[in-house]
Amino acid sequence: MIEVKNISQTYDSRSERDTITDVSLTVRENTITALIGANGAGKSTLLSVMTNLIPAKKGNVTIDGVDVRKIKTSEVAKKVAFLKQTHQLSIKITVRDLVEYGRFPHCGGRLKDTDHAKVNECIDYMNLEELSEKYLDEISGGQRQRAFIAMILAQDTPYIFLDEPLNNLDIKYSVEMMKIVHKLVSELDKTVVIVLHDINFAAAYAGHIVAMKDGKIYKEGTPNEVITTEVLNPVFDHDFHITEHDGKNICLYYD
Amino acid sequence: MKRLIMSTTFLILTLLSLEIGAMSEVGLSSLFSGDEMARFIFLHSRLPRTLAVILAAAGLSVAGLIMQSISRNKFMSPTTAGTTDAAALGLLISFVFLGHMSGYIQAIFAFIFALAGTLLFTAVINRLKIREVVYIPLLGMMYGGVLGAVATTIAFQFEAQQVLNQFNMGTFARLGNFDLVYVVIAPLVVAVIYATRFSIIGLGEDFAKNLGLNYNRVVMVGLVIVSLISASTFVAVGPLPFVGLIIPNMATSFYGDNLKKSIFDLMMFGAVFVLACDIASRLIIFPFEMNVSVTISLVGGVIFMVYLIRGMYGGKKSRKAA
Repeated sequence: MIEVKNISQTYDSRSERDTITDVSLTVRENTITALIGANGAGKSTLLSVMTNLIPAKKGNVTIDGVDVRKIKTSEVAKKVAFLKQTHQLSIKITVRDLVEYGRFPHCGGRLKDTDHAKVNECIDYMNLEELSEKYLDEISGGQRQRAFIAMILAQDTPYIFLDEPLNNLDIKYSVEMMKIVHKLVSELDKTVVIVLHDINFAAAYAGHIVAMKDGKIYKEGTPNEVITTEVLNPVFDHDFHITEHDGKNICLYYD
Repeated sequence: MKRLIMSTTFLILTLLSLEIGAMSEVGLSSLFSGDEMARFIFLHSRLPRTLAVILAAAGLSVAGLIMQSISRNKFMSPTTAGTTDAAALGLLISFVFLGHMSGYIQAIFAFIFALAGTLLFTAVINRLKIREVVYIPLLGMMYGGVLGAVATTIAFQFEAQQVLNQFNMGTFARLGNFDLVYVVIAPLVVAVIYATRFSIIGLGEDFAKNLGLNYNRVVMVGLVIVSLISASTFVAVGPLPFVGLIIPNMATSFYGDNLKKSIFDLMMFGAVFVLACDIASRLIIFPFEMNVSVTISLVGGVIFMVYLIRGMYGGKKSRKAA
Protein backbone atom coordinates (compact mmCIF):
# COMPACT_ATOMS: atom_id res chain seq x y z
CA MET A 1 0.00 0.00 0.00
CA ILE A 2 1.26 3.47 -0.84
CA GLU A 3 0.29 6.31 1.45
CA VAL A 4 1.13 9.96 1.13
CA LYS A 5 0.90 12.09 4.25
CA ASN A 6 0.94 15.89 4.35
CA ILE A 7 3.33 16.30 1.45
CA SER A 8 4.48 19.84 0.66
CA GLN A 9 6.95 20.80 -2.02
CA THR A 10 7.84 24.42 -2.60
CA TYR A 11 9.79 25.72 -5.54
CA ASP A 12 10.81 29.18 -6.61
CA SER A 13 9.16 30.61 -9.70
CA ARG A 14 12.17 29.73 -11.88
CA SER A 15 11.74 26.03 -11.30
CA GLU A 16 10.01 23.87 -13.88
CA ARG A 17 8.23 21.95 -11.16
CA ASP A 18 4.93 22.98 -9.64
CA THR A 19 4.41 23.58 -5.97
CA ILE A 20 2.17 21.29 -3.91
CA THR A 21 0.93 21.97 -0.40
CA ASP A 22 -0.21 19.56 2.28
CA VAL A 23 -1.37 16.71 0.09
CA SER A 24 -2.47 13.42 1.66
CA LEU A 25 -3.58 10.46 -0.40
CA THR A 26 -3.98 6.73 -0.07
CA VAL A 27 -3.52 4.83 -3.31
CA ARG A 28 -6.33 2.34 -3.78
CA GLU A 29 -5.01 -1.14 -4.52
CA ASN A 30 -5.87 -2.91 -7.76
CA THR A 31 -7.53 0.16 -9.26
CA ILE A 32 -6.73 2.80 -11.85
CA THR A 33 -6.42 6.12 -10.03
CA ALA A 34 -6.46 9.09 -12.40
CA LEU A 35 -4.98 12.47 -11.50
CA ILE A 36 -6.65 15.35 -13.30
CA GLY A 37 -6.28 19.09 -13.10
CA ALA A 38 -5.16 22.15 -15.01
CA ASN A 39 -1.53 22.70 -16.03
CA GLY A 40 0.52 23.68 -13.02
CA ALA A 41 -1.85 22.04 -10.54
CA GLY A 42 0.99 19.82 -9.30
CA LYS A 43 0.00 16.44 -10.74
CA SER A 44 3.44 15.56 -12.06
CA THR A 45 5.15 16.83 -8.92
CA LEU A 46 2.89 14.65 -6.80
CA LEU A 47 3.70 11.65 -8.99
CA SER A 48 7.44 12.32 -8.75
CA VAL A 49 7.25 12.59 -4.96
CA MET A 50 5.16 9.42 -4.64
CA THR A 51 7.74 7.46 -6.62
CA ASN A 52 10.61 9.05 -4.67
CA LEU A 53 12.05 10.53 -7.85
CA ILE A 54 12.14 13.78 -5.93
CA PRO A 55 12.34 13.33 -2.15
CA ALA A 56 9.53 15.00 -0.22
CA LYS A 57 10.54 18.25 1.45
CA LYS A 58 7.76 17.99 4.04
CA GLY A 59 5.60 15.04 4.97
CA ASN A 60 6.28 11.45 4.05
CA VAL A 61 5.52 8.69 1.60
CA THR A 62 5.23 5.11 2.80
CA ILE A 63 5.26 1.91 0.77
CA ASP A 64 3.72 -0.98 2.73
CA GLY A 65 4.15 1.07 5.89
CA VAL A 66 7.87 1.82 5.41
CA ASP A 67 9.10 5.35 4.74
CA VAL A 68 10.26 5.44 1.14
CA ARG A 69 13.40 7.38 2.09
CA LYS A 70 14.51 4.44 4.23
CA ILE A 71 14.28 1.99 1.34
CA LYS A 72 17.25 1.57 -1.02
CA THR A 73 16.54 3.07 -4.45
CA SER A 74 17.18 -0.29 -6.07
CA GLU A 75 14.52 -1.84 -3.80
CA VAL A 76 12.03 0.97 -4.56
CA ALA A 77 12.56 0.14 -8.24
CA LYS A 78 11.24 -3.38 -7.57
CA LYS A 79 8.06 -1.97 -6.03
CA VAL A 80 7.25 1.09 -8.10
CA ALA A 81 7.66 1.68 -11.81
CA PHE A 82 7.28 5.18 -13.18
CA LEU A 83 6.98 6.12 -16.83
CA LYS A 84 7.39 9.81 -17.60
CA GLN A 85 5.62 11.70 -20.32
CA THR A 86 8.41 12.63 -22.73
CA HIS A 87 10.79 10.19 -24.23
CA GLN A 88 12.96 12.09 -26.57
CA LEU A 89 15.01 9.26 -27.91
CA SER A 90 18.59 10.22 -28.49
CA ILE A 91 19.87 6.67 -28.52
CA LYS A 92 19.27 3.83 -30.88
CA ILE A 93 18.14 0.65 -29.14
CA THR A 94 15.82 -2.18 -30.08
CA VAL A 95 12.50 -3.00 -28.42
CA ARG A 96 14.13 -6.01 -26.79
CA ASP A 97 17.05 -3.91 -25.46
CA LEU A 98 14.53 -1.57 -23.85
CA VAL A 99 12.51 -4.35 -22.26
CA GLU A 100 15.73 -5.92 -20.96
CA TYR A 101 16.59 -2.66 -19.21
CA GLY A 102 13.38 -3.18 -17.24
CA ARG A 103 15.07 -6.16 -15.55
CA PHE A 104 17.90 -3.96 -14.27
CA PRO A 105 16.59 -3.66 -10.68
CA HIS A 106 16.45 -7.46 -10.48
CA CYS A 107 19.68 -8.51 -12.16
CA GLY A 108 21.89 -5.41 -12.44
CA GLY A 109 22.33 -5.75 -16.19
CA ARG A 110 23.40 -9.42 -16.24
CA LEU A 111 20.28 -11.24 -17.33
CA LYS A 112 19.76 -14.82 -16.19
CA ASP A 113 17.44 -17.36 -17.78
CA THR A 114 14.54 -16.26 -15.58
CA ASP A 115 15.10 -12.65 -16.65
CA HIS A 116 15.10 -13.60 -20.33
CA ALA A 117 11.91 -15.58 -19.79
CA LYS A 118 10.28 -12.56 -18.16
CA VAL A 119 11.40 -10.30 -21.02
CA ASN A 120 9.89 -12.67 -23.58
CA GLU A 121 6.69 -12.92 -21.57
CA CYS A 122 6.32 -9.12 -21.46
CA ILE A 123 7.08 -8.75 -25.16
CA ASP A 124 4.43 -11.38 -25.94
CA TYR A 125 1.92 -9.79 -23.58
CA MET A 126 2.22 -6.46 -25.39
CA ASN A 127 2.08 -8.14 -28.83
CA LEU A 128 5.54 -6.95 -29.77
CA GLU A 129 7.04 -10.29 -30.92
CA GLU A 130 7.44 -9.19 -34.51
CA LEU A 131 8.86 -5.81 -33.57
CA SER A 132 11.25 -7.01 -30.88
CA GLU A 133 14.39 -6.63 -32.99
CA LYS A 134 13.34 -3.30 -34.50
CA TYR A 135 14.91 -0.05 -33.35
CA LEU A 136 12.61 2.26 -31.39
CA ASP A 137 12.95 5.00 -33.98
CA GLU A 138 11.68 2.67 -36.70
CA ILE A 139 8.28 1.99 -35.14
CA SER A 140 5.17 4.14 -34.67
CA GLY A 141 4.44 6.26 -31.61
CA GLY A 142 1.79 3.84 -30.41
CA GLN A 143 4.09 0.85 -30.79
CA ARG A 144 6.85 2.70 -28.97
CA GLN A 145 4.51 3.47 -26.08
CA ARG A 146 3.65 -0.24 -25.94
CA ALA A 147 7.36 -1.04 -25.84
CA PHE A 148 7.79 1.26 -22.84
CA ILE A 149 4.83 -0.42 -21.11
CA ALA A 150 6.48 -3.80 -21.81
CA MET A 151 9.63 -2.47 -20.15
CA ILE A 152 7.61 -1.35 -17.11
CA LEU A 153 6.04 -4.83 -16.98
CA ALA A 154 9.47 -6.45 -17.09
CA GLN A 155 10.33 -4.35 -14.06
CA ASP A 156 7.68 -6.51 -12.41
CA THR A 157 6.40 -4.03 -9.82
CA PRO A 158 3.02 -4.09 -8.09
CA TYR A 159 2.67 -0.32 -8.58
CA ILE A 160 2.78 1.46 -11.92
CA PHE A 161 2.78 5.24 -12.27
CA LEU A 162 2.19 6.77 -15.69
CA ASP A 163 2.62 10.46 -16.42
CA GLU A 164 0.46 11.46 -19.39
CA PRO A 165 0.99 8.29 -21.44
CA LEU A 166 -1.51 9.47 -24.05
CA ASN A 167 0.58 12.47 -25.09
CA ASN A 168 1.29 12.44 -28.83
CA LEU A 169 -0.97 9.44 -29.38
CA ASP A 170 -3.93 9.65 -31.73
CA ILE A 171 -7.39 8.50 -30.65
CA LYS A 172 -6.97 4.91 -31.80
CA TYR A 173 -3.72 4.42 -29.91
CA SER A 174 -5.02 6.34 -26.89
CA VAL A 175 -7.97 3.97 -26.56
CA GLU A 176 -5.66 0.99 -27.13
CA MET A 177 -3.32 2.29 -24.42
CA MET A 178 -6.15 2.77 -21.90
CA LYS A 179 -7.44 -0.74 -22.64
CA ILE A 180 -3.95 -2.07 -21.95
CA VAL A 181 -3.77 -0.13 -18.68
CA HIS A 182 -7.16 -1.54 -17.77
CA LYS A 183 -5.89 -5.06 -18.52
CA LEU A 184 -2.87 -4.50 -16.28
CA VAL A 185 -5.27 -3.99 -13.39
CA SER A 186 -7.85 -6.66 -14.23
CA GLU A 187 -5.50 -9.41 -15.45
CA LEU A 188 -2.19 -8.74 -13.72
CA ASP A 189 -3.52 -7.27 -10.45
CA LYS A 190 -1.43 -4.13 -10.80
CA THR A 191 -2.18 -0.84 -9.08
CA VAL A 192 -2.00 2.07 -11.53
CA VAL A 193 -1.79 5.80 -10.90
CA ILE A 194 -2.05 7.81 -14.09
CA VAL A 195 -1.98 11.50 -14.96
CA LEU A 196 -4.49 12.20 -17.72
CA HIS A 197 -5.12 15.34 -19.67
CA ASP A 198 -8.34 14.19 -21.27
CA ILE A 199 -10.98 14.10 -18.53
CA ASN A 200 -13.23 11.76 -20.49
CA PHE A 201 -10.53 9.08 -20.63
CA ALA A 202 -10.38 9.33 -16.85
CA ALA A 203 -14.18 9.16 -16.65
CA ALA A 204 -14.30 6.09 -18.89
CA TYR A 205 -11.44 3.98 -17.50
CA ALA A 206 -10.49 5.10 -13.98
CA GLY A 207 -11.90 3.55 -10.83
CA HIS A 208 -10.94 6.53 -8.74
CA ILE A 209 -10.29 10.14 -9.74
CA VAL A 210 -8.25 12.74 -7.89
CA ALA A 211 -8.85 16.33 -9.02
CA MET A 212 -6.08 18.76 -8.18
CA LYS A 213 -6.09 22.54 -8.12
CA ASP A 214 -3.27 24.92 -7.14
CA GLY A 215 -1.15 22.22 -5.56
CA LYS A 216 -3.94 20.75 -3.44
CA ILE A 217 -6.42 17.92 -3.80
CA TYR A 218 -9.72 19.59 -4.55
CA LYS A 219 -11.84 16.46 -4.59
CA GLU A 220 -11.36 12.71 -4.88
CA GLY A 221 -13.88 9.97 -5.45
CA THR A 222 -15.50 7.71 -8.01
CA PRO A 223 -15.79 9.09 -11.55
CA ASN A 224 -19.43 10.00 -11.08
CA GLU A 225 -18.59 11.89 -7.90
CA VAL A 226 -15.81 13.91 -9.50
CA ILE A 227 -17.11 14.41 -13.03
CA THR A 228 -19.64 17.04 -11.98
CA THR A 229 -19.89 20.73 -12.75
CA GLU A 230 -19.44 21.55 -9.05
CA VAL A 231 -15.98 19.96 -9.09
CA LEU A 232 -14.75 20.49 -12.65
CA ASN A 233 -15.79 24.13 -13.10
CA PRO A 234 -13.57 25.45 -10.31
CA VAL A 235 -10.77 22.90 -10.94
CA PHE A 236 -10.36 23.85 -14.59
CA ASP A 237 -11.76 27.38 -14.30
CA HIS A 238 -14.13 26.69 -17.14
CA ASP A 239 -17.86 26.02 -17.68
CA PHE A 240 -18.54 22.32 -18.19
CA HIS A 241 -21.60 20.56 -19.42
CA ILE A 242 -22.04 17.02 -18.08
CA THR A 243 -24.08 14.36 -19.84
CA GLU A 244 -24.56 10.71 -19.08
CA HIS A 245 -23.58 7.83 -21.30
CA ASP A 246 -24.00 4.17 -20.25
CA GLY A 247 -24.36 5.28 -16.65
CA LYS A 248 -21.05 7.18 -16.76
CA ASN A 249 -20.70 10.94 -16.58
CA ILE A 250 -19.09 12.40 -19.68
CA CYS A 251 -18.19 16.05 -19.97
CA LEU A 252 -18.46 18.50 -22.82
CA TYR A 253 -16.28 21.52 -22.60
CA TYR A 254 -16.99 23.37 -25.83
CA ASP A 255 -18.57 26.81 -25.59
CA MET B 1 28.47 -10.99 -40.89
CA LYS B 2 29.26 -7.34 -40.10
CA ARG B 3 31.42 -8.66 -37.31
CA LEU B 4 33.29 -11.06 -39.60
CA ILE B 5 34.15 -8.33 -42.12
CA MET B 6 35.21 -5.99 -39.35
CA SER B 7 37.43 -8.53 -37.58
CA THR B 8 39.07 -9.55 -40.85
CA THR B 9 39.82 -5.92 -41.73
CA PHE B 10 41.10 -5.41 -38.22
CA LEU B 11 43.45 -8.40 -38.47
CA ILE B 12 44.77 -7.38 -41.88
CA LEU B 13 45.44 -3.82 -40.75
CA THR B 14 47.11 -5.02 -37.55
CA LEU B 15 49.44 -7.25 -39.57
CA LEU B 16 50.14 -4.43 -42.04
CA SER B 17 50.90 -2.07 -39.18
CA LEU B 18 53.37 -4.60 -37.80
CA GLU B 19 55.10 -5.02 -41.16
CA ILE B 20 55.55 -1.38 -42.16
CA GLY B 21 58.65 0.49 -41.10
CA ALA B 22 61.94 1.94 -42.24
CA MET B 23 63.62 -1.44 -41.84
CA SER B 24 61.77 -3.51 -44.39
CA GLU B 25 63.24 -6.82 -43.24
CA VAL B 26 61.60 -6.42 -39.81
CA GLY B 27 58.23 -8.05 -39.45
CA LEU B 28 56.24 -10.71 -37.71
CA SER B 29 58.65 -13.28 -39.14
CA SER B 30 61.62 -11.71 -37.34
CA LEU B 31 60.20 -13.09 -34.10
CA PHE B 32 61.18 -16.55 -35.27
CA SER B 33 64.26 -15.75 -37.29
CA GLY B 34 67.64 -15.72 -35.64
CA ASP B 35 68.15 -12.00 -36.33
CA GLU B 36 68.47 -10.46 -32.86
CA MET B 37 68.38 -6.87 -34.16
CA ALA B 38 65.19 -7.38 -36.13
CA ARG B 39 63.64 -9.11 -33.19
CA PHE B 40 64.53 -6.22 -30.89
CA ILE B 41 63.02 -3.64 -33.27
CA PHE B 42 59.88 -5.72 -33.60
CA LEU B 43 59.37 -6.16 -29.88
CA HIS B 44 60.35 -2.65 -28.84
CA SER B 45 59.05 -0.52 -31.69
CA ARG B 46 56.59 -2.21 -34.04
CA LEU B 47 54.56 -4.20 -31.55
CA PRO B 48 54.16 -1.45 -28.91
CA ARG B 49 53.26 1.02 -31.62
CA THR B 50 50.52 -1.16 -33.03
CA LEU B 51 49.20 -1.91 -29.56
CA ALA B 52 49.24 1.80 -28.76
CA VAL B 53 47.20 2.56 -31.87
CA ILE B 54 44.62 -0.10 -31.04
CA LEU B 55 44.30 0.83 -27.36
CA ALA B 56 44.19 4.59 -27.91
CA ALA B 57 41.59 4.23 -30.65
CA ALA B 58 39.44 1.78 -28.70
CA GLY B 59 39.68 3.94 -25.59
CA LEU B 60 38.75 7.19 -27.28
CA SER B 61 35.84 5.57 -29.11
CA VAL B 62 34.39 4.25 -25.86
CA ALA B 63 35.09 7.57 -24.09
CA GLY B 64 33.20 9.41 -26.82
CA LEU B 65 30.18 7.13 -26.62
CA ILE B 66 30.05 7.42 -22.83
CA MET B 67 30.09 11.21 -23.10
CA GLN B 68 27.34 11.09 -25.70
CA SER B 69 25.21 8.85 -23.49
CA ILE B 70 25.68 10.99 -20.40
CA SER B 71 24.94 14.26 -22.16
CA ARG B 72 22.33 12.73 -24.48
CA ASN B 73 24.06 14.62 -27.25
CA LYS B 74 25.60 12.90 -30.27
CA PHE B 75 28.09 15.73 -30.69
CA MET B 76 29.86 15.41 -27.35
CA SER B 77 33.37 13.96 -27.30
CA PRO B 78 36.72 14.60 -25.65
CA THR B 79 37.56 16.91 -28.60
CA THR B 80 34.33 18.89 -28.43
CA ALA B 81 34.05 19.37 -24.66
CA GLY B 82 37.50 20.76 -23.92
CA THR B 83 38.69 17.48 -22.35
CA THR B 84 41.71 17.12 -24.61
CA ASP B 85 42.68 20.79 -24.31
CA ALA B 86 42.38 20.65 -20.54
CA ALA B 87 44.62 17.55 -20.53
CA ALA B 88 47.18 19.48 -22.61
CA LEU B 89 47.04 22.38 -20.15
CA GLY B 90 47.61 20.00 -17.23
CA LEU B 91 50.52 18.36 -19.00
CA LEU B 92 52.09 21.76 -19.73
CA ILE B 93 51.69 22.93 -16.14
CA SER B 94 53.33 19.78 -14.81
CA PHE B 95 56.18 20.35 -17.24
CA VAL B 96 56.64 24.04 -16.43
CA PHE B 97 56.55 23.68 -12.66
CA LEU B 98 58.00 20.25 -12.12
CA GLY B 99 60.28 19.87 -15.10
CA HIS B 100 60.72 16.51 -16.82
CA MET B 101 58.81 14.02 -14.75
CA SER B 102 57.90 10.45 -15.45
CA GLY B 103 55.00 9.90 -17.79
CA TYR B 104 52.81 8.73 -14.93
CA ILE B 105 53.13 12.01 -12.99
CA GLN B 106 52.38 13.90 -16.19
CA ALA B 107 49.39 11.69 -16.81
CA ILE B 108 48.03 12.39 -13.31
CA PHE B 109 48.21 16.14 -13.97
CA ALA B 110 46.60 15.69 -17.35
CA PHE B 111 43.88 13.53 -15.79
CA ILE B 112 43.03 16.04 -13.03
CA PHE B 113 42.82 18.89 -15.50
CA ALA B 114 40.83 16.83 -17.99
CA LEU B 115 38.30 15.86 -15.32
CA ALA B 116 37.99 19.40 -13.94
CA GLY B 117 37.77 20.90 -17.43
CA THR B 118 35.06 18.47 -18.50
CA LEU B 119 33.07 18.94 -15.28
CA LEU B 120 33.18 22.71 -15.74
CA PHE B 121 32.00 22.45 -19.33
CA THR B 122 29.15 20.04 -18.56
CA ALA B 123 28.02 22.20 -15.62
CA VAL B 124 27.93 25.30 -17.82
CA ILE B 125 26.11 23.47 -20.61
CA ASN B 126 23.46 22.18 -18.17
CA ARG B 127 22.90 25.72 -16.90
CA LEU B 128 22.54 27.18 -20.38
CA LYS B 129 19.90 24.65 -21.45
CA ILE B 130 20.74 24.91 -25.13
CA ARG B 131 18.07 23.35 -27.31
CA GLU B 132 20.04 23.10 -30.55
CA VAL B 133 22.41 20.17 -30.03
CA VAL B 134 24.76 21.29 -32.80
CA TYR B 135 25.78 24.39 -30.85
CA ILE B 136 27.27 22.33 -28.05
CA PRO B 137 30.29 20.99 -29.98
CA LEU B 138 30.89 24.45 -31.42
CA LEU B 139 30.79 25.97 -27.94
CA GLY B 140 33.00 23.16 -26.67
CA MET B 141 35.58 23.79 -29.37
CA MET B 142 35.59 27.50 -28.49
CA TYR B 143 36.06 26.55 -24.85
CA GLY B 144 38.90 24.26 -25.93
CA GLY B 145 40.37 27.20 -27.84
CA VAL B 146 40.30 29.33 -24.71
CA LEU B 147 42.07 26.59 -22.73
CA GLY B 148 44.58 26.33 -25.57
CA ALA B 149 45.17 30.08 -25.41
CA VAL B 150 45.80 29.87 -21.68
CA ALA B 151 48.30 27.08 -22.35
CA THR B 152 50.02 29.19 -25.04
CA THR B 153 50.27 32.16 -22.69
CA ILE B 154 51.83 30.04 -19.97
CA ALA B 155 54.17 28.40 -22.47
CA PHE B 156 55.18 31.85 -23.73
CA GLN B 157 55.92 33.10 -20.21
CA PHE B 158 58.09 30.14 -19.45
CA GLU B 159 59.58 29.80 -22.93
CA ALA B 160 58.08 26.39 -23.36
CA GLN B 161 56.35 26.91 -26.72
CA GLN B 162 58.38 24.15 -28.32
CA VAL B 163 57.27 21.66 -25.70
CA LEU B 164 53.65 22.71 -26.13
CA ASN B 165 53.90 22.30 -29.90
CA GLN B 166 55.26 18.85 -29.37
CA PHE B 167 52.37 17.94 -27.02
CA ASN B 168 49.82 19.01 -29.57
CA MET B 169 51.16 16.71 -32.28
CA GLY B 170 49.45 13.37 -32.23
CA THR B 171 51.88 10.71 -33.31
CA PHE B 172 52.60 7.09 -32.73
CA ALA B 173 56.26 7.63 -33.61
CA ARG B 174 57.16 8.81 -30.10
CA LEU B 175 58.94 6.10 -28.21
CA GLY B 176 59.13 5.81 -24.49
CA ASN B 177 55.76 6.97 -23.24
CA PHE B 178 53.83 4.20 -24.96
CA ASP B 179 53.44 2.18 -21.81
CA LEU B 180 51.06 4.88 -20.59
CA VAL B 181 48.59 3.77 -23.18
CA TYR B 182 48.17 0.54 -21.23
CA VAL B 183 46.54 2.66 -18.50
CA VAL B 184 43.56 2.77 -20.87
CA ILE B 185 42.86 -0.90 -20.17
CA ALA B 186 41.59 -0.31 -16.61
CA PRO B 187 38.90 2.29 -17.49
CA LEU B 188 37.92 0.14 -20.48
CA VAL B 189 37.26 -2.81 -18.19
CA VAL B 190 35.11 -0.61 -15.95
CA ALA B 191 33.30 0.67 -19.05
CA VAL B 192 32.45 -2.90 -20.04
CA ILE B 193 31.09 -3.60 -16.55
CA TYR B 194 29.08 -0.36 -16.53
CA ALA B 195 27.94 -0.69 -20.16
CA THR B 196 24.25 -1.28 -19.41
CA ARG B 197 24.22 1.57 -16.88
CA PHE B 198 25.61 4.03 -19.43
CA SER B 199 22.98 3.00 -21.97
CA ILE B 200 20.20 3.44 -19.41
CA ILE B 201 21.54 6.88 -18.47
CA GLY B 202 21.27 7.73 -22.17
CA LEU B 203 17.49 7.40 -21.84
CA GLY B 204 17.35 10.22 -19.31
CA GLU B 205 17.71 10.92 -15.61
CA ASP B 206 14.13 10.04 -14.64
CA PHE B 207 14.28 6.84 -16.64
CA ALA B 208 17.51 5.82 -14.90
CA LYS B 209 16.20 6.70 -11.44
CA ASN B 210 13.05 4.70 -12.07
CA LEU B 211 15.24 1.64 -12.56
CA GLY B 212 16.96 2.31 -9.25
CA LEU B 213 20.23 3.64 -10.70
CA ASN B 214 22.29 6.10 -8.71
CA TYR B 215 22.30 8.64 -11.53
CA ASN B 216 24.95 11.01 -10.19
CA ARG B 217 27.32 8.20 -9.38
CA VAL B 218 27.07 6.64 -12.83
CA VAL B 219 27.67 10.05 -14.45
CA MET B 220 30.72 10.59 -12.24
CA VAL B 221 32.12 7.12 -13.02
CA GLY B 222 31.59 7.92 -16.70
CA LEU B 223 33.42 11.22 -16.53
CA VAL B 224 36.32 9.68 -14.63
CA ILE B 225 36.61 6.96 -17.29
CA VAL B 226 36.51 9.57 -20.06
CA SER B 227 39.13 11.75 -18.36
CA LEU B 228 41.45 8.83 -17.61
CA ILE B 229 41.31 7.61 -21.19
CA SER B 230 41.72 11.10 -22.66
CA ALA B 231 44.59 12.01 -20.36
CA SER B 232 46.59 8.81 -20.74
CA THR B 233 46.23 8.68 -24.53
CA PHE B 234 47.11 12.37 -24.71
CA VAL B 235 50.31 11.96 -22.73
CA ALA B 236 51.25 8.79 -24.59
CA VAL B 237 50.48 9.71 -28.21
CA GLY B 238 49.09 13.25 -28.27
CA PRO B 239 45.70 14.35 -29.53
CA LEU B 240 43.76 12.15 -31.92
CA PRO B 241 41.08 14.67 -32.84
CA PHE B 242 37.52 13.64 -33.74
CA VAL B 243 38.06 9.94 -33.03
CA GLY B 244 35.84 10.12 -29.93
CA LEU B 245 33.19 11.93 -31.94
CA ILE B 246 32.90 10.30 -35.34
CA ILE B 247 33.64 6.69 -34.38
CA PRO B 248 30.73 6.36 -31.91
CA ASN B 249 28.42 8.07 -34.40
CA MET B 250 29.40 5.77 -37.24
CA ALA B 251 29.51 2.64 -35.09
CA THR B 252 26.09 3.19 -33.49
CA SER B 253 24.46 3.63 -36.86
CA PHE B 254 25.58 0.05 -37.59
CA TYR B 255 25.39 -1.59 -34.20
CA GLY B 256 22.90 0.51 -32.24
CA ASP B 257 23.40 2.13 -28.84
CA ASN B 258 23.03 -0.84 -26.53
CA LEU B 259 26.59 -0.53 -25.28
CA LYS B 260 26.61 -3.95 -23.67
CA LYS B 261 26.09 -5.58 -27.06
CA SER B 262 28.18 -3.20 -29.13
CA ILE B 263 31.13 -2.14 -26.99
CA PHE B 264 33.60 -4.55 -28.59
CA ASP B 265 32.38 -3.71 -32.09
CA LEU B 266 32.81 -0.05 -31.22
CA MET B 267 36.40 -0.59 -30.04
CA MET B 268 37.24 -2.58 -33.15
CA PHE B 269 35.67 0.03 -35.40
CA GLY B 270 37.79 2.75 -33.79
CA ALA B 271 40.92 0.65 -34.04
CA VAL B 272 40.36 -0.03 -37.75
CA PHE B 273 39.90 3.68 -38.43
CA VAL B 274 43.03 4.81 -36.57
CA LEU B 275 45.13 1.89 -37.86
CA ALA B 276 44.19 2.86 -41.41
CA CYS B 277 45.04 6.52 -40.75
CA ASP B 278 48.33 5.56 -39.10
CA ILE B 279 49.35 3.26 -41.94
CA ALA B 280 48.48 5.98 -44.46
CA SER B 281 50.55 8.53 -42.51
CA ARG B 282 53.51 6.17 -42.63
CA LEU B 283 53.24 5.38 -46.33
CA ILE B 284 52.55 8.78 -47.88
CA ILE B 285 56.12 10.11 -47.51
CA PHE B 286 57.81 6.74 -46.87
CA PRO B 287 60.35 6.17 -45.31
CA PHE B 288 59.48 9.31 -43.31
CA GLU B 289 56.10 9.71 -41.72
CA MET B 290 53.46 12.35 -41.15
CA ASN B 291 51.91 13.03 -37.78
CA VAL B 292 48.90 10.78 -37.51
CA SER B 293 46.88 13.66 -36.03
CA VAL B 294 47.17 15.47 -39.35
CA THR B 295 45.71 12.54 -41.26
CA ILE B 296 43.00 12.00 -38.66
CA SER B 297 42.12 15.70 -38.65
CA LEU B 298 41.77 15.70 -42.42
CA VAL B 299 39.62 12.58 -42.66
CA GLY B 300 37.82 13.09 -39.35
CA GLY B 301 37.20 16.77 -39.95
CA VAL B 302 35.38 16.05 -43.19
CA ILE B 303 33.23 13.35 -41.57
CA PHE B 304 32.52 15.68 -38.64
CA MET B 305 31.36 18.39 -41.07
CA VAL B 306 29.00 15.91 -42.73
CA TYR B 307 27.50 14.98 -39.35
CA LEU B 308 27.25 18.63 -38.33
CA ILE B 309 25.39 19.59 -41.49
CA ARG B 310 23.18 16.52 -41.26
CA GLY B 311 22.52 17.38 -37.61
CA MET B 312 21.34 20.86 -38.57
CA TYR B 313 18.98 19.63 -41.27
CA GLY B 314 18.06 16.40 -39.52
CA GLY B 315 17.14 18.38 -36.42
CA LYS B 316 14.69 20.47 -38.40
CA LYS B 317 13.16 17.44 -40.01
CA SER B 318 12.56 15.58 -36.77
CA ARG B 319 11.00 18.69 -35.24
CA LYS B 320 8.53 18.85 -38.09
CA ALA B 321 7.65 15.21 -37.62
CA ALA B 322 7.00 15.81 -33.92
